[in-house]
Amino acid sequence: MKSVVTTVIAAADAAGRFPSTSDLESVQGSIQRAAARLEAAEKLASNLDNVAREAYDACIKKYPYLNNAGEANSTETFKAKCARDIKHYLRLIQYCLVVGGTGPLDEWGIAGQREVYRALGLPTAPYVEALSFARNRGCAPRDMSAQALTEYNALLDYAINSLS
Amino acid sequence: MDKRFFNFFNLSEDEAIALLDTPQSQISENDSRYIAASHLVNFPTDRSIQALMRAVQQTDPSLDNRIVRRKSVETLGRLQAMQAIPVIRGCLQDEDCYTVENAVWAIGEIGTQDPAILEEVAQLLDKPGQTYRVIIHTLTKLDYAPAIERIRRFMAATDLPTASAAITAICRFTGDYSQMDKVVAMLQNSNVLARRLSIQDLIDAQYYAAIPEIACCPVSLVFRLRGIRMLAESGISSGAITFAAIQPALEQSLRDHPKDLKLVHHYNSPPTLPVLIRELYETDFGRCYLATQTILEQYPDEAPAALFATYEEEARSDYGAHFHVVKLFGWLKHAPAYDLLLEALHNRQPQFQKSRAAAAIALAELGDPRAIPELTTCLTTPIWDLKYAALMALEKLGVTRVYEQVTEADDWLVRLKSQASLQLQF
Repeated sequence: MKSVVTTVIAAADAAGRFPSTSDLESVQGSIQRAAARLEAAEKLASNLDNVAREAYDACIKKYPYLNNAGEANSTETFKAKCARDIKHYLRLIQYCLVVGGTGPLDEWGIAGQREVYRALGLPTAPYVEALSFARNRGCAPRDMSAQALTEYNALLDYAINSLS
Repeated sequence: MDKRFFNFFNLSEDEAIALLDTPQSQISENDSRYIAASHLVNFPTDRSIQALMRAVQQTDPSLDNRIVRRKSVETLGRLQAMQAIPVIRGCLQDEDCYTVENAVWAIGEIGTQDPAILEEVAQLLDKPGQTYRVIIHTLTKLDYAPAIERIRRFMAATDLPTASAAITAICRFTGDYSQMDKVVAMLQNSNVLARRLSIQDLIDAQYYAAIPEIACCPVSLVFRLRGIRMLAESGISSGAITFAAIQPALEQSLRDHPKDLKLVHHYNSPPTLPVLIRELYETDFGRCYLATQTILEQYPDEAPAALFATYEEEARSDYGAHFHVVKLFGWLKHAPAYDLLLEALHNRQPQFQKSRAAAAIALAELGDPRAIPELTTCLTTPIWDLKYAALMALEKLGVTRVYEQVTEADDWLVRLKSQASLQLQF
Protein backbone atom coordinates (compact mmCIF):
# COMPACT_ATOMS: atom_id res chain seq x y z
CA MET A 1 0.00 0.00 0.00
CA LYS A 2 1.58 3.24 -1.18
CA SER A 3 2.23 5.89 1.48
CA VAL A 4 4.89 8.53 1.98
CA VAL A 5 6.94 6.01 3.96
CA THR A 6 6.68 3.16 1.47
CA THR A 7 7.37 5.52 -1.45
CA VAL A 8 10.54 6.85 0.17
CA ILE A 9 11.81 3.39 1.05
CA ALA A 10 10.97 1.96 -2.37
CA ALA A 11 12.81 4.83 -4.11
CA ALA A 12 15.85 4.45 -1.85
CA ASP A 13 15.91 0.69 -2.30
CA ALA A 14 15.56 0.97 -6.07
CA ALA A 15 18.64 3.20 -6.12
CA GLY A 16 20.49 1.04 -3.57
CA ARG A 17 20.92 3.96 -1.17
CA PHE A 18 19.85 5.14 2.27
CA PRO A 19 16.91 7.59 2.46
CA SER A 20 18.23 11.11 1.85
CA THR A 21 17.73 14.13 4.08
CA SER A 22 14.86 15.34 1.93
CA ASP A 23 13.34 11.85 2.04
CA LEU A 24 13.45 11.95 5.82
CA GLU A 25 11.97 15.44 5.83
CA SER A 26 9.00 14.26 3.81
CA VAL A 27 8.51 11.32 6.18
CA GLN A 28 8.79 13.71 9.13
CA GLY A 29 6.18 15.98 7.52
CA SER A 30 3.85 13.06 7.04
CA ILE A 31 4.28 11.98 10.67
CA GLN A 32 3.63 15.51 11.88
CA ARG A 33 0.35 15.54 10.00
CA ALA A 34 -0.63 12.08 11.27
CA ALA A 35 -2.63 13.37 14.25
CA ALA A 36 -4.72 15.61 11.99
CA ARG A 37 -5.27 12.77 9.51
CA LEU A 38 -6.32 10.34 12.20
CA GLU A 39 -8.69 12.91 13.67
CA ALA A 40 -10.29 13.33 10.25
CA ALA A 41 -10.38 9.55 9.77
CA GLU A 42 -12.11 9.06 13.09
CA LYS A 43 -14.70 11.79 12.48
CA LEU A 44 -15.41 10.50 9.00
CA ALA A 45 -15.74 6.89 10.16
CA SER A 46 -18.19 7.78 12.90
CA ASN A 47 -20.29 9.81 10.50
CA LEU A 48 -19.83 8.07 7.16
CA ASP A 49 -23.49 7.33 6.46
CA ASN A 50 -24.55 10.88 7.23
CA VAL A 51 -21.81 12.47 5.16
CA ALA A 52 -22.66 10.27 2.19
CA ARG A 53 -26.39 10.80 2.47
CA GLU A 54 -26.02 14.53 2.94
CA ALA A 55 -23.77 14.74 -0.10
CA TYR A 56 -26.20 13.10 -2.47
CA ASP A 57 -29.32 14.65 -0.94
CA ALA A 58 -27.78 18.07 -1.34
CA CYS A 59 -26.71 17.22 -4.84
CA ILE A 60 -30.32 16.42 -5.79
CA LYS A 61 -31.61 19.56 -4.15
CA LYS A 62 -28.95 21.74 -5.64
CA TYR A 63 -29.36 20.50 -9.19
CA PRO A 64 -33.03 20.30 -10.05
CA TYR A 65 -32.11 18.86 -13.42
CA LEU A 66 -30.46 15.87 -11.73
CA ASN A 67 -33.72 14.11 -12.27
CA ASN A 68 -33.27 10.68 -13.72
CA ALA A 69 -34.80 10.44 -17.13
CA GLY A 70 -34.89 6.67 -16.91
CA GLU A 71 -38.09 4.71 -17.00
CA ALA A 72 -38.86 5.24 -13.35
CA ASN A 73 -38.33 8.99 -13.68
CA SER A 74 -37.65 9.24 -10.02
CA THR A 75 -34.94 11.03 -8.13
CA GLU A 76 -34.84 8.06 -5.77
CA THR A 77 -33.15 6.18 -8.58
CA PHE A 78 -30.24 8.52 -8.80
CA LYS A 79 -29.92 8.80 -5.04
CA ALA A 80 -29.64 5.08 -4.59
CA LYS A 81 -27.05 4.73 -7.32
CA CYS A 82 -25.02 7.61 -6.05
CA ALA A 83 -25.22 6.71 -2.36
CA ARG A 84 -23.55 3.35 -2.75
CA ASP A 85 -20.66 4.70 -4.78
CA ILE A 86 -20.15 7.86 -2.73
CA LYS A 87 -19.87 5.71 0.35
CA HIS A 88 -17.27 3.59 -1.41
CA TYR A 89 -15.17 6.64 -2.28
CA LEU A 90 -15.49 8.07 1.22
CA ARG A 91 -14.30 4.77 2.63
CA LEU A 92 -11.25 4.84 0.37
CA ILE A 93 -10.60 8.44 1.46
CA GLN A 94 -10.79 7.29 5.05
CA TYR A 95 -8.23 4.56 4.33
CA CYS A 96 -5.96 7.18 2.74
CA LEU A 97 -6.17 9.31 5.88
CA VAL A 98 -5.06 6.30 7.92
CA VAL A 99 -2.29 5.28 5.50
CA GLY A 100 -0.99 8.80 5.04
CA GLY A 101 -0.91 8.53 1.26
CA THR A 102 -3.17 8.15 -1.71
CA GLY A 103 -2.46 4.43 -2.17
CA PRO A 104 -5.96 3.11 -1.36
CA LEU A 105 -7.63 5.55 -3.78
CA ASP A 106 -4.98 4.96 -6.43
CA GLU A 107 -5.14 1.19 -6.25
CA TRP A 108 -8.82 0.58 -5.58
CA GLY A 109 -10.59 3.65 -6.89
CA ILE A 110 -8.64 5.17 -9.76
CA ALA A 111 -6.28 2.83 -11.61
CA GLY A 112 -8.48 1.23 -14.21
CA GLN A 113 -11.68 2.67 -12.81
CA ARG A 114 -11.59 5.53 -15.30
CA GLU A 115 -11.37 2.96 -18.09
CA VAL A 116 -14.30 1.02 -16.68
CA TYR A 117 -16.46 4.15 -16.46
CA ARG A 118 -15.66 5.00 -20.06
CA ALA A 119 -16.14 1.47 -21.38
CA LEU A 120 -19.53 1.02 -19.74
CA GLY A 121 -20.71 4.58 -20.35
CA LEU A 122 -21.23 5.18 -16.62
CA PRO A 123 -21.74 8.76 -15.50
CA THR A 124 -19.06 10.36 -13.33
CA ALA A 125 -20.85 13.69 -12.97
CA PRO A 126 -23.03 12.69 -10.00
CA TYR A 127 -19.98 11.49 -8.04
CA VAL A 128 -18.07 14.64 -8.84
CA GLU A 129 -20.99 16.80 -7.80
CA ALA A 130 -21.63 14.92 -4.57
CA LEU A 131 -17.96 14.82 -3.55
CA SER A 132 -17.65 18.53 -4.39
CA PHE A 133 -20.54 19.19 -2.07
CA ALA A 134 -18.85 17.19 0.70
CA ARG A 135 -15.69 19.23 0.18
CA ASN A 136 -17.51 22.57 0.34
CA ARG A 137 -19.67 21.61 3.26
CA GLY A 138 -16.92 20.68 5.76
CA CYS A 139 -16.49 23.29 8.44
CA ALA A 140 -13.83 23.79 11.14
CA PRO A 141 -14.04 23.64 14.08
CA ARG A 142 -17.67 22.45 13.89
CA ASP A 143 -16.84 19.15 12.15
CA MET A 144 -13.15 18.75 12.94
CA SER A 145 -10.04 20.84 13.52
CA ALA A 146 -8.77 23.08 10.74
CA GLN A 147 -5.74 20.85 10.12
CA ALA A 148 -7.87 17.72 9.98
CA LEU A 149 -10.21 19.43 7.54
CA THR A 150 -7.26 20.38 5.34
CA GLU A 151 -6.18 16.74 5.15
CA TYR A 152 -9.72 15.56 4.44
CA ASN A 153 -10.39 18.19 1.77
CA ALA A 154 -7.12 17.45 0.01
CA LEU A 155 -8.19 13.84 -0.43
CA LEU A 156 -11.68 14.85 -1.58
CA ASP A 157 -10.02 17.05 -4.21
CA TYR A 158 -7.76 14.17 -5.17
CA ALA A 159 -10.77 11.90 -5.69
CA ILE A 160 -12.74 14.53 -7.62
CA ASN A 161 -9.75 15.19 -9.84
CA SER A 162 -9.15 11.55 -10.58
CA LEU A 163 -12.79 10.64 -11.21
CA SER A 164 -13.48 13.26 -13.79
CA MET B 1 -22.56 0.91 -25.92
CA ASP B 2 -25.03 0.92 -23.08
CA LYS B 3 -26.56 4.42 -22.99
CA ARG B 4 -28.90 3.93 -20.05
CA PHE B 5 -27.17 6.56 -17.99
CA PHE B 6 -26.42 9.14 -20.66
CA ASN B 7 -29.55 11.21 -20.38
CA PHE B 8 -29.33 11.89 -16.69
CA PHE B 9 -29.89 15.57 -16.37
CA ASN B 10 -32.94 16.72 -18.33
CA LEU B 11 -31.03 19.67 -19.76
CA SER B 12 -31.82 21.02 -23.22
CA GLU B 13 -29.00 21.47 -25.71
CA ASP B 14 -29.32 25.27 -25.47
CA GLU B 15 -29.17 25.17 -21.69
CA ALA B 16 -26.13 22.89 -21.67
CA ILE B 17 -24.26 25.04 -24.21
CA ALA B 18 -25.07 28.23 -22.29
CA LEU B 19 -23.83 26.63 -19.09
CA LEU B 20 -20.63 25.40 -20.68
CA ASP B 21 -19.93 28.84 -22.16
CA THR B 22 -20.35 30.60 -18.83
CA PRO B 23 -16.96 31.54 -17.40
CA GLN B 24 -16.10 29.35 -14.43
CA SER B 25 -15.87 32.41 -12.17
CA GLN B 26 -19.44 33.42 -13.04
CA ILE B 27 -21.05 30.03 -12.70
CA SER B 28 -23.96 30.03 -10.28
CA GLU B 29 -23.73 27.89 -7.19
CA ASN B 30 -26.66 25.92 -8.54
CA ASP B 31 -25.08 25.00 -11.84
CA SER B 32 -22.29 22.83 -13.14
CA ARG B 33 -20.31 23.15 -16.34
CA TYR B 34 -19.07 19.61 -15.76
CA ILE B 35 -22.61 18.29 -16.04
CA ALA B 36 -23.12 20.37 -19.19
CA ALA B 37 -19.97 18.89 -20.75
CA SER B 38 -21.20 15.37 -19.90
CA HIS B 39 -24.71 16.02 -21.12
CA LEU B 40 -23.80 17.30 -24.58
CA VAL B 41 -23.03 13.70 -25.53
CA ASN B 42 -26.74 13.53 -26.31
CA PHE B 43 -26.49 16.21 -29.03
CA PRO B 44 -24.27 15.23 -31.95
CA THR B 45 -24.65 18.65 -33.58
CA ASP B 46 -22.09 21.10 -34.84
CA ARG B 47 -23.25 23.62 -32.22
CA SER B 48 -22.53 21.22 -29.38
CA ILE B 49 -19.19 20.22 -30.83
CA GLN B 50 -18.16 23.86 -31.22
CA ALA B 51 -19.17 24.55 -27.61
CA LEU B 52 -17.16 21.58 -26.37
CA MET B 53 -14.15 22.72 -28.40
CA ARG B 54 -14.43 26.19 -26.85
CA ALA B 55 -14.48 24.55 -23.41
CA VAL B 56 -11.32 22.57 -24.18
CA GLN B 57 -9.61 25.82 -25.10
CA GLN B 58 -10.38 27.35 -21.68
CA THR B 59 -7.12 26.55 -19.94
CA ASP B 60 -7.67 27.99 -16.46
CA PRO B 61 -5.80 25.45 -14.28
CA SER B 62 -8.31 25.44 -11.39
CA LEU B 63 -9.70 22.03 -10.48
CA ASP B 64 -13.24 23.05 -11.49
CA ASN B 65 -12.16 24.08 -14.97
CA ARG B 66 -9.68 21.25 -15.41
CA ILE B 67 -12.34 18.61 -14.97
CA VAL B 68 -14.62 20.43 -17.43
CA ARG B 69 -11.85 20.41 -20.05
CA ARG B 70 -11.26 16.71 -19.58
CA LYS B 71 -14.92 15.85 -19.76
CA SER B 72 -15.29 17.98 -22.89
CA VAL B 73 -12.44 16.07 -24.53
CA GLU B 74 -14.12 12.79 -23.60
CA THR B 75 -17.49 13.91 -24.95
CA LEU B 76 -15.89 15.01 -28.23
CA GLY B 77 -14.44 11.50 -28.46
CA ARG B 78 -17.84 9.93 -27.85
CA LEU B 79 -19.34 12.17 -30.53
CA GLN B 80 -16.51 11.09 -32.87
CA ALA B 81 -16.02 14.74 -33.76
CA MET B 82 -13.38 14.65 -36.47
CA GLN B 83 -13.25 18.45 -36.65
CA ALA B 84 -12.11 18.50 -33.00
CA ILE B 85 -8.92 16.52 -33.64
CA PRO B 86 -6.63 19.60 -33.78
CA VAL B 87 -8.02 20.90 -30.48
CA ILE B 88 -7.74 17.50 -28.83
CA ARG B 89 -4.23 17.06 -30.17
CA GLY B 90 -3.31 20.26 -28.33
CA CYS B 91 -4.08 18.41 -25.06
CA LEU B 92 -1.48 15.70 -25.68
CA GLN B 93 1.23 17.87 -24.16
CA ASP B 94 -0.87 18.95 -21.19
CA GLU B 95 0.70 18.74 -17.74
CA ASP B 96 -2.37 16.98 -16.37
CA CYS B 97 -2.02 13.26 -17.05
CA TYR B 98 -5.78 12.66 -17.01
CA THR B 99 -6.32 15.33 -19.66
CA VAL B 100 -3.67 13.57 -21.75
CA GLU B 101 -5.35 10.22 -21.11
CA ASN B 102 -8.73 11.54 -22.25
CA ALA B 103 -7.18 13.14 -25.32
CA VAL B 104 -5.47 9.88 -26.30
CA TRP B 105 -8.68 7.95 -25.74
CA ALA B 106 -10.72 10.48 -27.73
CA ILE B 107 -8.29 10.27 -30.66
CA GLY B 108 -8.77 6.50 -30.57
CA GLU B 109 -12.55 6.90 -30.65
CA ILE B 110 -12.54 9.44 -33.46
CA GLY B 111 -9.84 7.64 -35.42
CA THR B 112 -7.04 9.11 -37.48
CA GLN B 113 -4.26 7.83 -39.70
CA ASP B 114 -2.25 11.05 -39.55
CA PRO B 115 1.25 9.72 -38.79
CA ALA B 116 2.31 12.94 -37.08
CA ILE B 117 -0.52 12.69 -34.56
CA LEU B 118 0.05 8.97 -34.01
CA GLU B 119 3.75 9.51 -33.46
CA GLU B 120 2.96 12.24 -30.96
CA VAL B 121 0.76 9.76 -29.11
CA ALA B 122 3.48 7.09 -29.29
CA GLN B 123 6.06 9.46 -27.83
CA LEU B 124 3.95 9.67 -24.68
CA LEU B 125 5.15 6.13 -23.95
CA ASP B 126 8.51 7.67 -23.08
CA LYS B 127 7.02 10.36 -20.85
CA PRO B 128 6.83 9.56 -17.12
CA GLY B 129 3.55 9.45 -15.23
CA GLN B 130 1.19 8.74 -18.13
CA THR B 131 -1.64 6.22 -18.36
CA TYR B 132 0.30 3.88 -20.64
CA ARG B 133 -2.49 1.37 -20.87
CA VAL B 134 -4.77 3.80 -22.68
CA ILE B 135 -1.93 5.00 -24.92
CA ILE B 136 -1.19 1.39 -25.90
CA HIS B 137 -4.89 0.75 -26.57
CA THR B 138 -5.18 3.73 -28.89
CA LEU B 139 -1.97 3.00 -30.81
CA THR B 140 -3.08 -0.59 -31.32
CA LYS B 141 -6.62 0.33 -32.27
CA LEU B 142 -5.26 2.77 -34.88
CA ASP B 143 -2.73 0.16 -36.04
CA TYR B 144 0.35 2.32 -35.58
CA ALA B 145 3.04 -0.30 -36.22
CA PRO B 146 6.03 2.07 -35.70
CA ALA B 147 5.18 1.96 -31.97
CA ILE B 148 5.53 -1.84 -31.67
CA GLU B 149 9.01 -1.91 -30.13
CA ARG B 150 8.13 0.88 -27.69
CA ILE B 151 4.99 -1.01 -26.66
CA ARG B 152 6.94 -4.25 -26.30
CA ARG B 153 8.92 -2.73 -23.43
CA PHE B 154 5.75 -2.61 -21.34
CA MET B 155 5.11 -6.36 -21.57
CA ALA B 156 7.00 -6.83 -18.31
CA ALA B 157 5.60 -3.72 -16.57
CA THR B 158 5.06 -4.11 -12.85
CA ASP B 159 1.60 -2.63 -13.25
CA LEU B 160 -0.26 -5.72 -14.45
CA PRO B 161 -3.02 -4.01 -16.47
CA THR B 162 -0.33 -2.09 -18.36
CA ALA B 163 1.57 -5.32 -19.02
CA SER B 164 -1.67 -6.97 -20.09
CA ALA B 165 -2.42 -4.18 -22.58
CA ALA B 166 1.11 -4.45 -24.01
CA ILE B 167 0.95 -8.25 -24.38
CA THR B 168 -2.42 -7.88 -26.09
CA ALA B 169 -1.10 -5.18 -28.39
CA ILE B 170 1.86 -7.29 -29.48
CA CYS B 171 -0.48 -10.20 -30.07
CA ARG B 172 -2.70 -8.04 -32.27
CA PHE B 173 0.19 -6.54 -34.21
CA THR B 174 2.18 -9.74 -34.73
CA GLY B 175 -0.29 -12.60 -34.30
CA ASP B 176 1.93 -14.00 -31.54
CA TYR B 177 -0.44 -15.47 -28.97
CA SER B 178 2.31 -17.09 -26.89
CA GLN B 179 2.06 -14.61 -24.02
CA MET B 180 -1.72 -14.42 -23.85
CA ASP B 181 -1.85 -16.98 -21.05
CA LYS B 182 -0.50 -14.21 -18.81
CA VAL B 183 -3.54 -12.10 -19.65
CA VAL B 184 -5.81 -15.07 -18.97
CA ALA B 185 -4.06 -15.56 -15.60
CA MET B 186 -5.03 -12.02 -14.65
CA LEU B 187 -8.65 -13.16 -14.55
CA GLN B 188 -7.65 -14.65 -11.20
CA ASN B 189 -5.80 -11.63 -9.82
CA SER B 190 -6.72 -10.50 -6.32
CA ASN B 191 -7.31 -6.94 -7.58
CA VAL B 192 -10.81 -6.57 -8.98
CA LEU B 193 -9.80 -3.89 -11.48
CA ALA B 194 -7.03 -6.12 -12.85
CA ARG B 195 -9.62 -8.87 -13.36
CA ARG B 196 -12.07 -6.55 -15.09
CA LEU B 197 -9.43 -5.00 -17.35
CA SER B 198 -8.01 -8.33 -18.44
CA ILE B 199 -11.43 -9.16 -19.88
CA GLN B 200 -11.17 -6.02 -22.01
CA ASP B 201 -7.78 -7.14 -23.30
CA LEU B 202 -9.07 -10.61 -24.13
CA ILE B 203 -11.89 -8.97 -26.11
CA ASP B 204 -9.40 -6.77 -27.95
CA ALA B 205 -7.18 -9.76 -28.78
CA GLN B 206 -10.21 -11.74 -30.00
CA TYR B 207 -8.85 -14.52 -27.82
CA TYR B 208 -11.79 -16.90 -28.10
CA ALA B 209 -10.02 -19.69 -26.21
CA ALA B 210 -10.44 -17.63 -23.05
CA ILE B 211 -14.25 -17.59 -23.12
CA PRO B 212 -14.65 -20.47 -20.63
CA GLU B 213 -12.14 -18.76 -18.31
CA ILE B 214 -13.97 -15.45 -18.57
CA ALA B 215 -17.15 -17.28 -17.53
CA CYS B 216 -15.37 -18.36 -14.31
CA CYS B 217 -13.87 -14.96 -13.48
CA PRO B 218 -15.15 -13.61 -10.15
CA VAL B 219 -16.29 -10.18 -11.28
CA SER B 220 -19.80 -8.86 -11.78
CA LEU B 221 -21.63 -10.76 -14.47
CA VAL B 222 -21.94 -7.47 -16.32
CA PHE B 223 -18.24 -7.70 -17.18
CA ARG B 224 -18.36 -11.41 -17.97
CA LEU B 225 -21.41 -11.08 -20.21
CA ARG B 226 -19.94 -8.06 -21.98
CA GLY B 227 -16.74 -10.02 -22.66
CA ILE B 228 -18.45 -13.17 -23.87
CA ARG B 229 -20.94 -11.23 -25.97
CA MET B 230 -18.30 -9.10 -27.70
CA LEU B 231 -16.07 -12.10 -28.35
CA ALA B 232 -19.04 -14.07 -29.65
CA GLU B 233 -20.01 -11.22 -31.93
CA SER B 234 -16.62 -11.01 -33.61
CA GLY B 235 -15.92 -14.75 -33.51
CA ILE B 236 -19.24 -15.96 -34.88
CA SER B 237 -19.37 -13.33 -37.63
CA SER B 238 -15.86 -14.25 -38.77
CA GLY B 239 -16.59 -17.98 -38.54
CA ALA B 240 -13.86 -18.56 -35.97
CA ILE B 241 -16.29 -19.97 -33.39
CA THR B 242 -19.87 -21.16 -33.26
CA PHE B 243 -22.76 -20.28 -30.99
CA ALA B 244 -22.78 -23.88 -29.74
CA ALA B 245 -19.21 -23.40 -28.54
CA ILE B 246 -19.97 -20.32 -26.46
CA GLN B 247 -23.51 -21.17 -25.34
CA PRO B 248 -22.46 -23.04 -22.15
CA ALA B 249 -20.21 -20.19 -21.00
CA LEU B 250 -22.87 -17.63 -21.81
CA GLU B 251 -25.63 -19.45 -19.96
CA GLN B 252 -23.35 -20.26 -17.04
CA SER B 253 -22.72 -16.53 -16.69
CA LEU B 254 -26.39 -15.64 -16.98
CA ARG B 255 -27.21 -18.25 -14.36
CA ASP B 256 -24.36 -16.92 -12.24
CA HIS B 257 -24.03 -19.48 -9.45
CA PRO B 258 -20.92 -18.92 -7.29
CA LYS B 259 -19.93 -22.59 -7.51
CA ASP B 260 -19.28 -22.03 -11.23
CA LEU B 261 -16.76 -19.28 -10.49
CA LYS B 262 -13.12 -19.64 -9.56
CA LEU B 263 -13.15 -17.51 -6.45
CA VAL B 264 -9.97 -15.67 -5.50
CA HIS B 265 -10.72 -14.65 -1.91
CA HIS B 266 -10.61 -16.78 1.22
CA TYR B 267 -11.60 -16.34 4.85
CA ASN B 268 -8.95 -16.71 7.53
CA SER B 269 -11.57 -17.92 9.97
CA PRO B 270 -15.22 -18.95 9.51
CA PRO B 271 -17.28 -15.74 9.32
CA THR B 272 -20.55 -15.18 11.14
CA LEU B 273 -23.77 -14.67 9.19
CA PRO B 274 -23.88 -10.89 9.89
CA VAL B 275 -20.35 -10.56 8.51
CA LEU B 276 -21.33 -12.49 5.39
CA ILE B 277 -24.45 -10.36 4.89
CA ARG B 278 -22.25 -7.25 5.11
CA GLU B 279 -19.98 -8.68 2.44
CA LEU B 280 -22.89 -8.60 -0.01
CA TYR B 281 -22.49 -4.81 -0.10
CA GLU B 282 -18.87 -4.94 -1.30
CA THR B 283 -17.97 -3.30 -4.60
CA ASP B 284 -15.65 -6.23 -5.43
CA PHE B 285 -18.19 -8.83 -6.52
CA GLY B 286 -15.58 -11.56 -6.03
CA ARG B 287 -16.06 -11.05 -2.31
CA CYS B 288 -19.83 -11.03 -2.64
CA TYR B 289 -19.79 -14.37 -4.48
CA LEU B 290 -17.59 -15.91 -1.78
CA ALA B 291 -20.05 -14.67 0.84
CA THR B 292 -22.97 -16.06 -1.17
CA GLN B 293 -21.31 -19.45 -1.49
CA THR B 294 -20.45 -19.51 2.23
CA ILE B 295 -24.00 -18.54 3.20
CA LEU B 296 -25.36 -21.37 1.05
CA GLU B 297 -22.99 -23.89 2.60
CA GLN B 298 -23.07 -22.81 6.23
CA TYR B 299 -26.26 -20.84 6.93
CA PRO B 300 -28.99 -22.12 4.60
CA ASP B 301 -31.61 -22.15 7.37
CA GLU B 302 -30.80 -18.86 9.09
CA ALA B 303 -30.10 -16.90 5.92
CA PRO B 304 -33.64 -16.06 4.71
CA ALA B 305 -34.58 -14.04 7.80
CA ALA B 306 -31.27 -12.19 7.65
CA LEU B 307 -31.75 -11.50 3.93
CA PHE B 308 -35.25 -10.11 4.41
CA ALA B 309 -33.96 -7.91 7.22
CA THR B 310 -31.05 -6.50 5.26
CA TYR B 311 -33.29 -6.01 2.22
CA GLU B 312 -35.71 -3.86 4.20
CA GLU B 313 -32.96 -1.96 5.91
CA GLU B 314 -30.58 -1.20 3.08
CA ALA B 315 -30.31 -3.63 0.18
CA ARG B 316 -33.53 -2.47 -1.48
CA SER B 317 -31.75 0.77 -2.36
CA ASP B 318 -28.23 -0.63 -2.89
CA TYR B 319 -28.07 -2.08 -6.39
CA GLY B 320 -25.19 -4.42 -5.56
CA ALA B 321 -26.60 -6.02 -2.44
CA HIS B 322 -30.06 -6.01 -4.07
CA PHE B 323 -28.71 -8.25 -6.81
CA HIS B 324 -27.05 -10.69 -4.40
CA VAL B 325 -30.13 -10.90 -2.15
CA VAL B 326 -32.22 -11.76 -5.21
CA LYS B 327 -29.71 -14.42 -6.28
CA LEU B 328 -29.53 -15.94 -2.81
CA PHE B 329 -33.30 -16.29 -2.45
CA GLY B 330 -33.24 -18.24 -5.69
CA TRP B 331 -30.42 -20.57 -4.71
CA LEU B 332 -32.09 -21.10 -1.32
CA LYS B 333 -35.36 -21.89 -3.15
CA HIS B 334 -37.09 -19.78 -0.54
CA ALA B 335 -40.75 -19.68 -1.56
CA PRO B 336 -41.76 -16.75 0.75
CA ALA B 337 -39.43 -14.52 -1.28
CA TYR B 338 -41.73 -14.83 -4.31
CA ASP B 339 -43.18 -11.31 -4.04
CA LEU B 340 -39.76 -9.75 -3.50
CA LEU B 341 -38.44 -11.52 -6.58
CA LEU B 342 -41.46 -10.48 -8.61
CA GLU B 343 -40.88 -6.85 -7.68
CA ALA B 344 -37.22 -7.21 -8.71
CA LEU B 345 -38.25 -8.78 -12.03
CA HIS B 346 -40.33 -5.75 -12.92
CA ASN B 347 -38.08 -3.08 -11.37
CA ARG B 348 -37.45 -0.68 -14.24
CA GLN B 349 -35.02 1.65 -12.51
CA PRO B 350 -31.85 1.52 -14.60
CA GLN B 351 -29.35 0.74 -11.87
CA PHE B 352 -31.35 -2.33 -10.82
CA GLN B 353 -31.33 -3.74 -14.35
CA LYS B 354 -29.10 -6.70 -13.58
CA SER B 355 -31.42 -7.70 -10.73
CA ARG B 356 -34.20 -8.26 -13.28
CA ALA B 357 -32.46 -11.11 -15.10
CA ALA B 358 -31.30 -12.38 -11.70
CA ALA B 359 -34.91 -12.43 -10.53
CA ALA B 360 -35.95 -14.39 -13.63
CA ILE B 361 -33.37 -17.07 -12.82
CA ALA B 362 -34.32 -17.03 -9.13
CA LEU B 363 -38.05 -17.39 -9.84
CA ALA B 364 -37.29 -20.48 -11.89
CA GLU B 365 -35.37 -21.91 -8.95
CA LEU B 366 -38.47 -21.44 -6.78
CA GLY B 367 -40.42 -23.54 -9.27
CA ASP B 368 -43.65 -21.63 -8.64
CA PRO B 369 -45.86 -21.74 -11.77
CA ARG B 370 -47.38 -18.36 -10.87
CA ALA B 371 -44.14 -16.90 -12.24
CA ILE B 372 -44.86 -18.16 -15.78
CA PRO B 373 -47.11 -15.29 -16.96
CA GLU B 374 -44.84 -12.78 -15.23
CA LEU B 375 -41.77 -14.14 -17.01
CA THR B 376 -43.70 -14.26 -20.27
CA THR B 377 -44.27 -10.50 -20.08
CA CYS B 378 -40.48 -10.10 -20.05
CA LEU B 379 -40.27 -11.59 -23.52
CA THR B 380 -41.25 -8.22 -24.96
CA THR B 381 -38.30 -6.46 -23.37
CA PRO B 382 -35.55 -4.98 -25.53
CA ILE B 383 -33.01 -5.84 -22.79
CA TRP B 384 -31.27 -8.87 -24.25
CA ASP B 385 -29.97 -10.47 -21.05
CA LEU B 386 -33.36 -10.17 -19.36
CA LYS B 387 -35.07 -11.79 -22.33
CA TYR B 388 -32.46 -14.53 -22.54
CA ALA B 389 -32.74 -15.20 -18.79
CA ALA B 390 -36.53 -15.24 -19.04
CA LEU B 391 -36.29 -17.87 -21.80
CA MET B 392 -33.98 -19.97 -19.63
CA ALA B 393 -36.34 -19.57 -16.67
CA LEU B 394 -39.44 -20.49 -18.66
CA GLU B 395 -37.66 -23.52 -20.05
CA LYS B 396 -36.75 -24.59 -16.51
CA LEU B 397 -40.37 -24.15 -15.47
CA GLY B 398 -41.35 -26.59 -18.20
CA VAL B 399 -42.95 -24.14 -20.60
CA THR B 400 -42.90 -25.46 -24.14
CA ARG B 401 -43.21 -23.48 -27.38
CA VAL B 402 -41.64 -20.48 -25.67
CA TYR B 403 -39.38 -19.85 -28.63
CA GLU B 404 -42.28 -19.10 -30.93
CA GLN B 405 -42.25 -15.64 -29.42
CA VAL B 406 -38.74 -14.94 -30.62
CA THR B 407 -38.76 -12.96 -33.86
CA GLU B 408 -36.30 -11.55 -36.35
CA ALA B 409 -36.49 -8.26 -34.46
CA ASP B 410 -34.92 -9.83 -31.40
CA ASP B 411 -31.33 -9.52 -30.25
CA TRP B 412 -29.01 -11.80 -32.24
CA LEU B 413 -27.95 -13.86 -29.21
CA VAL B 414 -31.59 -14.42 -28.28
CA ARG B 415 -32.27 -15.55 -31.86
CA LEU B 416 -29.31 -17.93 -31.84
CA LYS B 417 -30.51 -19.35 -28.53
CA SER B 418 -33.95 -19.84 -30.02
CA GLN B 419 -32.60 -21.54 -33.14
CA ALA B 420 -30.40 -23.85 -31.06
CA SER B 421 -33.32 -24.84 -28.80
CA LEU B 422 -35.72 -25.41 -31.68
CA GLN B 423 -33.18 -27.68 -33.35
CA LEU B 424 -33.01 -29.72 -30.16
CA GLN B 425 -36.79 -30.03 -30.04
CA PHE B 426 -37.05 -31.47 -33.54
